[in-house]
Amino acid sequence: MRWSSLLERPLVLRGELEYLGPGKLGKRVDAPYREQLNVADGQAKVQRGEGAVRSFSLGQAPELEGFLRGFAALLSGDAAALERDFTLDASGDDAAWRLVLKPRDRRLALRIRAIEVEGADGAARCFRTRQADGDLAVLLVESLAEAKIPNRPSAPQIDALCRGDAAK
Amino acid sequence: MTASRTRWTVLALWLLALGALAAYVFGTLRIGTDLRSFMPPPSTPDQKLLMEQIGEGPGSRLLLLAIDGAPEATLAELSRGLAAALADEPAFEQVINGAFDPSSLDPDWLPYRWLLSPTLDHQPLDAAYLSDQLQQRVADLASPAADLLKPLLPRDPTLETLVLAERWSPPKAPALRDGVWFSSDGAALLLAQTRGAGFDPAVQGAAIDALRAAFATLPGASDARLTLSGPGWFSVLINEKTRAEADRIGLVSTIGFVLLLLLAYRSIASLLLAGLPVISGGLAGAAALALGFGSAHGITLAFGFTLLGVAQEYPIRVLSHRRAGEDALASVRALWPLLATAIVSAAIAYLAFFASGVTGLQQLAVFTIAGLLGAGLTTRYLLPRVLPARFRDVADTPGLAAAARFIDRVPRPRWLPWLLLVLGLVVLWRVPGPMWQDDLSALTPVPRDLLLQDAKLRGELGAPDVRYLLVLRADSADGVLALSESLEPRLAGLVASGALDAVELPSRYLPSLATQRARQVKLPSRADLERALAEAGANLPFRGGLFEPFLDDVDAARTLEQLTPAAFAKTPLGARLDAMLVRETDGDAWLGLATLSGVHDAAALEAFTAQTNGAARLLDLKGASESLVVDYRGRILKALGVALGLLALTVVVALRSARRAWHVLAPMSLATLLVLVVERAAGIPLSLFHLVALTLAAGLGLHYALFFERPVADEAEGRRTLHATLVCVLSALLVFGLQALSSMPVLRAIGLTVALGVGFHFCLSILMARSARPDPSA
Repeated sequence: MRWSSLLERPLVLRGELEYLGPGKLGKRVDAPYREQLNVADGQAKVQRGEGAVRSFSLGQAPELEGFLRGFAALLSGDAAALERDFTLDASGDDAAWRLVLKPRDRRLALRIRAIEVEGADGAARCFRTRQADGDLAVLLVESLAEAKIPNRPSAPQIDALCRGDAAK
Repeated sequence: MTASRTRWTVLALWLLALGALAAYVFGTLRIGTDLRSFMPPPSTPDQKLLMEQIGEGPGSRLLLLAIDGAPEATLAELSRGLAAALADEPAFEQVINGAFDPSSLDPDWLPYRWLLSPTLDHQPLDAAYLSDQLQQRVADLASPAADLLKPLLPRDPTLETLVLAERWSPPKAPALRDGVWFSSDGAALLLAQTRGAGFDPAVQGAAIDALRAAFATLPGASDARLTLSGPGWFSVLINEKTRAEADRIGLVSTIGFVLLLLLAYRSIASLLLAGLPVISGGLAGAAALALGFGSAHGITLAFGFTLLGVAQEYPIRVLSHRRAGEDALASVRALWPLLATAIVSAAIAYLAFFASGVTGLQQLAVFTIAGLLGAGLTTRYLLPRVLPARFRDVADTPGLAAAARFIDRVPRPRWLPWLLLVLGLVVLWRVPGPMWQDDLSALTPVPRDLLLQDAKLRGELGAPDVRYLLVLRADSADGVLALSESLEPRLAGLVASGALDAVELPSRYLPSLATQRARQVKLPSRADLERALAEAGANLPFRGGLFEPFLDDVDAARTLEQLTPAAFAKTPLGARLDAMLVRETDGDAWLGLATLSGVHDAAALEAFTAQTNGAARLLDLKGASESLVVDYRGRILKALGVALGLLALTVVVALRSARRAWHVLAPMSLATLLVLVVERAAGIPLSLFHLVALTLAAGLGLHYALFFERPVADEAEGRRTLHATLVCVLSALLVFGLQALSSMPVLRAIGLTVALGVGFHFCLSILMARSARPDPSA
């Protein structure tokens, strides 16, 4: 899901996210269009529909790079790596925790204000990437991936989902 | 006492005059390093283009830069910093590192994208196209590229600026990381185009110094390593290396030379004073150049000083031939007729160079003639007046008498020279391999590891070929652009078939006026575009009115004045196009210079240009410059031939005897031939430097033969002649023999040729010129 200053309503995408080990990521968008993104060895490859494969380096896409770093460190439980790349701010309890990651890298910080992760027990279910220009990307995973999302979701609705209100 | 005071007064005045002359020369004489001022006037169109329009081609003005040894982020910062710093540096036309920042585009130029981009040629701006584009943009906004594209979208939802940026980036660009070019092994890459010619070491040296200085001031530069490559850097490097080696050899041979003279004359005063005539000659030659031309090419000066080596003989003759108790002036007077013959005949011979019509050779003639006369006249009129009254007669040098007896006893079969002549001619006729080396750069070769590094960087950067250039010709600049457009598809076919890797045509930057007009006509009216946009965006989440700037741009583009090359020159890429479009100097035609990368099949390109009826031509820069060298060599050979004739005539007139002249000229000619034979038999192709060295050796040989041939009154005088000649031969062998050992082919060429020549001239002079002595009739 994505809120942008250019759009009058948020963009909702569905697909599958695959973490394939350190520095490797697969992201597939199924709807409303089809796109496959693969990241490996600092290089990202994107194929939209049946079109040509375009590739670029992570250095050009700070948002993706920051997300991948945080995501990888979280999933592998590498607290040291997380601590190295981000300043951390944790709150909540085991049943509903919330972690705010702020990038330490100056260049990354120019683009990304913070990544907020919310989850319950051992699993994260909601990633929010707040960009410096006010745009917001929300990623719902695990149990929330199948959650029903209204056609034009509002920010409070998503916040509620992330807090786990829907699960209760 | 008065004699001594006169000596010091003359010496002081002489030194003063030399000082004044040196001040004049250093103040006025400009030394050029551009190869063009050294070459003969161009005669073919290719040569003209090479000399007048392009120096040595845009490819040769390109420096390839790599920065490594630091983390990627630092390298990218350094790349950006260096490009920004050099943007204001006048020595550089353009520096590119792959960075594209949409926000850096001048908003005033943005509407022109519709005239410059080829999109409209095959794609109308209708609802279907816009719908597809807008859907792509929605996906883009959810993709990692969103940050980069967001500022651009309202004004350019079809991303036409990116289409143009892609079209304008080098045909085979390296990978972008962190927004700038990186090589496969992690070095940041840049291309820097200098304004000065690639093979001009002085200009390139200044540009590279500026580049290094700019790099050193960047933050983090101390940890990183800047690697340079390209023809400009090579010419600087080779120049430095040749100079360093010449200096080193010069130092060693100077020490040897000084020791030799000390041993020969046992007098420091004589040694120091003997240097003055050559210095006087050199300054006189340089002053004559300053007066007559104002400037001289570095190679001309180097050749000139080489040829002036003959003048070192004059003071040596004076020192060796002075007999015990004789006044120096009287001794010089006795020697003068012969010395004057040598000097005047050489000077007359060099007149032939003056008539060659090549500025470089004319300068060489002026320098050498003025230098020889200066050295000769100071030897005759000044040197004897400053030499100390006390000296040692060299006729009594231990061992000299034995050497003289040995040389007198050497058998002199009359058939030997003829046998040598026949054998030599046979060898010259039969020996395989090329006779001439016309690639001047082969004499100053670039080390192999640097060439490999250059090839690697060139491949990664897709930098243009240094050797080939595609030249387009039309009546006007716009005509060249139209021609360039019409050739584009066929050249793309050649790229696809692998004849070459890429081509950079002028029309890649600016389409012809007709094409721009055709694109303008295809732009929809504001009302039509609004309708199409509304239809396309009906089901998409874009904010209403978001694309107002886009509508404004298209509307503005419909009525824009088409861009001419002159107008385009004001844009950031103007300099690039400017370098590709040149006006012919004699005539109204315009030329377009298209650079080629990775030429694999020059024949296919030739075949392609043959079909264009002369509108396009493949220019082989190496071939054109080699043909210039061939031209130059032809003129030198012709001048040398005339010089030899003049020399023979002068010697005959001076000696008043054809038979005596034959004794002088025959050994000189045969020795010159033998040097050629030895070098050819060793498989050495001859270059201009060999020819000049041969000329010097012949000048020295003339002296040996003249003095050996001279009838002498007594044995002591014969010993003095031998002493003088031995000192001359040994010093020449020492100086040039050391050069022959150099690792630089250009120094080796000169050293080997002169050393061989001196050896042959000496032996043959003894064999052929001395056959008649002691002459009882004298």
